[in-house]
Parts: sequence; C-alpha cells; structure tokens
Amino acid sequence: MNEMISSLVSQLLVKGQYAVLLYFLAVNGWYLVLLVSSLLELRRHMLLITDESRHLLLSSTLSPTISILAPAYNEEATIETSLRALLALQYPNLEVIVISDGSKDRTVQVLSEKFDLVPVKTIYEQRIKTRPVRALYRSSTYPSLVVVDKENGGKADALNVGLSFARGDLVCAMDADTLIEADGLQRMVRPFLYATDVVATGGTIRVVNGSEVKFGRVVKTAVPTDLLAGLQVVEYLRAFLFGRLGWNRLGGNIIISGAFGLFQRDAVLDAGGYLHDTVGEDMELVLRLKRLSYENGGAGKIAFVPDPVAWTEVPESARSLGRQRDRWHRGLADVLWRHRAMLLNPRYGITGLFVYPYYAFVELLAPVIEAVGIGSLALGLIFGVVDWKFAGLFYLTAYGLGTALTAFTLILEDLSFHRYDSFRDRVLLFWWALIENLGYRQLTVYWRLRGLWKFIRGRKDWGVMERKGFRPVTAAG
Amino acid sequence: MVSVDLLHIVMLIELGLLAVAVVLFFAHGVWLSLTQKRLLRLTGAGRDSLARLVTRGTVNVEEMSALRALPRYVQVIAFLEISRNLSGTGKERLRFVAQEIGLIDRARALCADRKWQRRLRGARILSQLDVADPLVQTLLADEHPAVRAQAAEWASSQPSVPVISAMLSLLADPATQARFAVQNALLRMGRVVAEPLADFLQNQSGRAAEAGLRVAESVAEPSFGPAAVRLSQSDDVAIRVGAARLLGAIGDARAAERLMAMIHDDEARVRAAAAQSLGRMQHWQAGSLLGDALRDRTWRVRREAGLALRAIGAAGALFLRRALKGDDRFAADMAQQVLDLPDAAAG
Repeated sequence: MNEMISSLVSQLLVKGQYAVLLYFLAVNGWYLVLLVSSLLELRRHMLLITDESRHLLLSSTLSPTISILAPAYNEEATIETSLRALLALQYPNLEVIVISDGSKDRTVQVLSEKFDLVPVKTIYEQRIKTRPVRALYRSSTYPSLVVVDKENGGKADALNVGLSFARGDLVCAMDADTLIEADGLQRMVRPFLYATDVVATGGTIRVVNGSEVKFGRVVKTAVPTDLLAGLQVVEYLRAFLFGRLGWNRLGGNIIISGAFGLFQRDAVLDAGGYLHDTVGEDMELVLRLKRLSYENGGAGKIAFVPDPVAWTEVPESARSLGRQRDRWHRGLADVLWRHRAMLLNPRYGITGLFVYPYYAFVELLAPVIEAVGIGSLALGLIFGVVDWKFAGLFYLTAYGLGTALTAFTLILEDLSFHRYDSFRDRVLLFWWALIENLGYRQLTVYWRLRGLWKFIRGRKDWGVMERKGFRPVTAAG
Repeated sequence: MVSVDLLHIVMLIELGLLAVAVVLFFAHGVWLSLTQKRLLRLTGAGRDSLARLVTRGTVNVEEMSALRALPRYVQVIAFLEISRNLSGTGKERLRFVAQEIGLIDRARALCADRKWQRRLRGARILSQLDVADPLVQTLLADEHPAVRAQAAEWASSQPSVPVISAMLSLLADPATQARFAVQNALLRMGRVVAEPLADFLQNQSGRAAEAGLRVAESVAEPSFGPAAVRLSQSDDVAIRVGAARLLGAIGDARAAERLMAMIHDDEARVRAAAAQSLGRMQHWQAGSLLGDALRDRTWRVRREAGLALRAIGAAGALFLRRALKGDDRFAADMAQQVLDLPDAAAG
C-alpha cells in the first residue's frame, strides 16, 4: 500500500514539477521586469522633481479644488489633532469634510467645541443612496471645514455621503488615522495637472510605527523594532516602490491604498461611488473606474506617485494583522470575481489582457500555489521521493530570490527618498528583509488562504483593528 | 527533477546579488552620511556668504572666492534657497553674484544641452533667479513638455510682447503639463496680458480657446467681450461653458444679453454656467428666465438658477416664492431649499 502511494506521489510530483517550475520562473521573471521598470520610473520621477519649484506652480488659483473626505467613527480622542493636521496641509484650494459615521462617543461634540461648528443647510444632490444625514455643520473659524453627522453605515457609506457634499474637482479619500505629509497633496495632484485622462492617483504609504509623531505629522522616521511592524515596513516598501511603481510605467496600476487616494469627483459619482457590500471597496472602485473608462472609450489612467505622501499605523499583533490580511485577500477575491468579465478580454486593453490575469493568477492564487508547493514537498519528503538536500536547496533558492528582490527595493528607497538614513535603521531594515521569508511569509500564506476560504463561504465582515497609537515626541523632541 | 547543480548555480548568483545589495546599501549609507554632513556645512557657509553679500550690496572678494570654490550643486542649493525669499534689489544682487561666480553661465550651458533633464535643470535655475535670458524663451518650443512648462514658469516674470505672444501660442500645447504652466504664468503676468489675450481669443477655437478662456475669466477685462460672445456660439460644450463664465466675470450689458440667450442652450452644463453667471452679475432683469430655469430637467441647472435668483435679491425671492406654489414639484423643492439657506451660504 505504502509503495503504491509512494509511486502515486512520485508520479504526481514528477508531472507537477514542470508546472511549478514554469510558474516559479514566470512569476520571478516578471518580478525582475517590475524591478527594472520601477528603477526606470523612479529615475524619471527624480529627474522631474529635482529643484522643482512646486510651491510656485501649485499655489496657483488654477489648481483644482480638493475635498478631503475623512470618515470618522468613535475618534473623540484623536480627531482634533488629526483634523488640525489636515487643515494645515499646504494646498491652495482645499476643503475638509469630516463624516462622523454614527459615532457613539463624543466625536461630534469635540469637533463642535474645538472648531466652533455651527449648523448649516446646504443644497446637495444625492446621486448615491446612503444612510440618512442627521446634521451638517460648518466651522466659523475654519471656513474650509465641513462636518457631516450621519447614521452609521460603514466607511463606504461615509465616503459616499462625503462625495455628495464635496465641492472639489478632486476628492481625497483617506482613513481617519492616516498622517499626510504637509506637501502630500501638492505631490499627489501632479498627475492630474500633467494629463487629462487621469481618474485617480495614489502615493506611497509608509509605516509610522516606531517613528515620532507631533501634532499629526511625522517628525522623525525610524524603523520599528517590533517584529511584525518591522516586517511590514519592508513589505510596504516592496509593495509600493517595486510593485506599484513598476506597474505604473507599464500602465497597469489598479490599486490605490484606501489610506490615501485622490480621485476625480465626477468620475467617482458617475461610477456610482463606493460599494457597500464588499470588503475591498478601495480596489473595487479603482477597477470599476478603469473598467468604465474603457467602456466609454478611454483608458482612464490610474497614476502612482512614488513620493512618500502618507503614513499609517500597521497592526503589531498577529491576530490583528491576520484579520487585516484575511480581509485584504477576501477583498481581492471579491473584486476580481465581480469584474471577471475583464479577464483576457481585449476590450479592456492591457488591464484585461495582462493586469487582471496577473492579479488573478499571481496575487490571488499565490497562497494556494505556495501551500500546494509546501504540501507536496512535505509529502515528497515523507514518502522519500524528494531528497532532503534537494528540498533544502530549492527552498534556499526561493528564499534567496525573494530576499534579493527586497534588498534591491531597499536600495531603490535609499537612492531616491532615503527616509531611513541612520545606521541603526539600515541594519534593522536589512535584518527584517533577511528574516521576512523565515516564517512571516508562510504566516501570510495561511492568512490569505483563510481569506480565500472565507470568501468562498461568503463572509464579508471587517474584523477589529487594535491600534497602539502613535509614538509621541519626547520632551527634547 | 530539476538538477541540483542548476540550483547551486542559481543560489550562487543570488548570493552574489545579495552581497552586491548589502555592499551598495551600506556603502550608500556611509556615503550619504559623509556627504550630507559636508553638504550641510558647505550650504550653510554658502548661504551665510550669500546673505551677507545680498544685504550689504558690496562685493567682498574673499566671500566671492569662497562661493566660487563651492561645488556646483552646493551653489545651486544655496542660491535657489535664498532666491525664493528675495525680490527687487535683493534678487538683482543675487543675480549679480550668480553671474560673477559663473552659475548663470553654467545654467545657460545646461539650457543648451542635448539631454532634456539638463535643459530642465538649467531652466529651473534661470527661472528661480529670474534671469531675463532669451535662451530660456527658446525653450518654450522645447520637445520635452517638462522643459516647456519650466520655460513658461520663467516667462511669468518676463512679461514682454514676444514672450506673451510665444506663451499664447502654447495655450494649444498638446501636453497638459505645459498648458497648465502657461495658463498659470499668464495669470501671474497680470493685466498686461489682457490685450494680446483678447486678440488671441478672437481667432481661436478648440483647446487653445478653452485654456485661454480660463485665464481670461480670472483677468476679467471688458476687452474680452467680443471674443467671449463669439466663443459662446462655439460647437464645443467646454468652450461655451468657459465663455459663459467669462461673460459673467465681465458683467456688462452685452454679456448679460448673451447669457440670457445661453440659458436656453441644449447642453445642461452651459445652461448651469449661464445661470450662475447671471447670479454673479446680480442681473435682476433675468429673473423671469431664471424662474423658468427652476423647472429645468437637470438638477444642477435648477440649483444654479435658484442660487442666482437668491443672489438677485428681492426680485429673485419673488420668483422663488412663486415657484413654491407652482405645479412643478422639482422647482418648488429647489425653491424651498434655496429659501431655507442661511445668508452666508447664498451665492
């Protein structure tokens, strides 16, 4: 019996090896293409922004008006600081709309006391159905501040309400806890000024854990010493500077982080706003915008700005992180399923023929393939059809490739923005890059598989994110 | 099975790459740390020398030599940092020092370079120092849009007839980046562009007219009137919208007459812009037309008509109250919303 199973496993492994090898080569070959692409794109970008007098150009009255949509739910402790930082952003035509999504704490009262809110009436067109608005306020000290108090309906619903009240040509969707760089909007708006077919832009989001924050701004960057936060620093750098930047040059961006993105308001309204019944509403909106622009005869560019424009707090507990990754993967699966008509459809240009299949076969199915790979290897070892030496070498090869790619991403960051410039930060960054593939990656495979399983079972809950809060500056700082 | 030898080779390559990455990463860190300390020291010294030279107004040979001895990139940083905070005599002195130490000649050489990134850098230096150099003007016709945009930025401080003329022709630039920079620069030039822009708009259509109308709306001179009237009959919707806004900004009797005709336009965006402009002009004679527009099938037109009636004052309020009792429930709803608005929200 054992011999029969052993022979079966052996046959399966032998037949599957070429498929696995082909997949391994294709994916890693493509990663190398992305790395080169991001290197070229970063070089072009740095050449364009060196010595640029952005202040002069972007302080123009012709600059598009931006409405920042900041959904808030039970944020009484942090809302004042976050909002003051938003109101102090360096951008000429700015409107800030805080949408209290049925907060049960004193969020609205705190806003009212600190920003001298007065109830107002306005005329607005409700093009998207949302939960009812309870009250609308305007600040008598900050004319550009609007506060909407509405019944609870989730982030997508809050953003949709914000869209209805926004007066800006562009809307900036963000999370309540995102810290935006003072000149972040000036950097993000650039693609809209430089091309007419841009419907949305995203920028590089960095991990704030470990850095010092003062009055809603990052004043000193540092790589966190916490294991999970540190590993996510290199993960974020790779995702933004290597993944999205590389795709940007190839015209294949379909992801804008929900933490901070800039959109053409009319395009979002025409598309019907954010969807409520998905956990991947950010990606879904971007893919829908892209799809609709193809259907309307354009390419609807999604641009990516490599400048570090915003900072976000990442989970430091395995439980929270697992829930986040599980949700992200469920979101990805849901979005790809909703827009499955785009797969290999020439009507959707490069997105249908290339980007969508990449996300489906590489990003979505990667955990499945990795899990199958690990499982087969285990079986092979148990039944003695794979020898230990070979298995070890193959793992080391895969590990080496992953680490080399991450290391080159760190170099890209260092050559361009070098925000982590102390020796301590360098050592830590490299350390996190080295150990990322030793357990953490396998853990993310598990979380993503769990997400996929939940998607198949139809789960759409968000889970709870535990945050530690930002590290304040010391007395000296 | 995949050969073990092949895996060994791949691993060796990866190991080599990783070693290169480690060396590059840390060596770059050391290099950055050393150069940044030096850069800070040199820029600080350069900035101090420059500040003294600019405030004193007399040339100190030693300080000039010290500035000349600085590396080029440090000179550029120090000069550009200071130039942002200077104007008038201070900037003239800064230019004099830049000329004396050879920075302007270097920037000029960059402007004539074969590579676009160098031309861009040269144009940026000359722009920020406000150097009136015809060489930068030639860059308005550069093949790279970023360079054209930078030359346009330079032009904002050089409002001569040939420069304005060259800038106007760039309003039709296919690159949005260059077009935006040109519009912005024309606006910064101020009223001096009014006459040439009015002449220009008389003969334009398409992209150039649309971009020009945006500038004209901000300048808002009565001389734009004939061009605005002509363009308000364009086939292009965006141009008609731009023309309606410009007519509202001009605000004379002829503009009002044309706007009242435009409120019947086939395109909702144009009707909304016309209503908004009539409100901006507080043209009470348009009350009846705006009252009709309250019954428009498009929400945006109804909103602009309602707000315009409110802006007109008592006469407009009369039409709004009349709409409350009318048979059109959409008009009545909009009229109610407008009448409910607090004073500060009007307009």
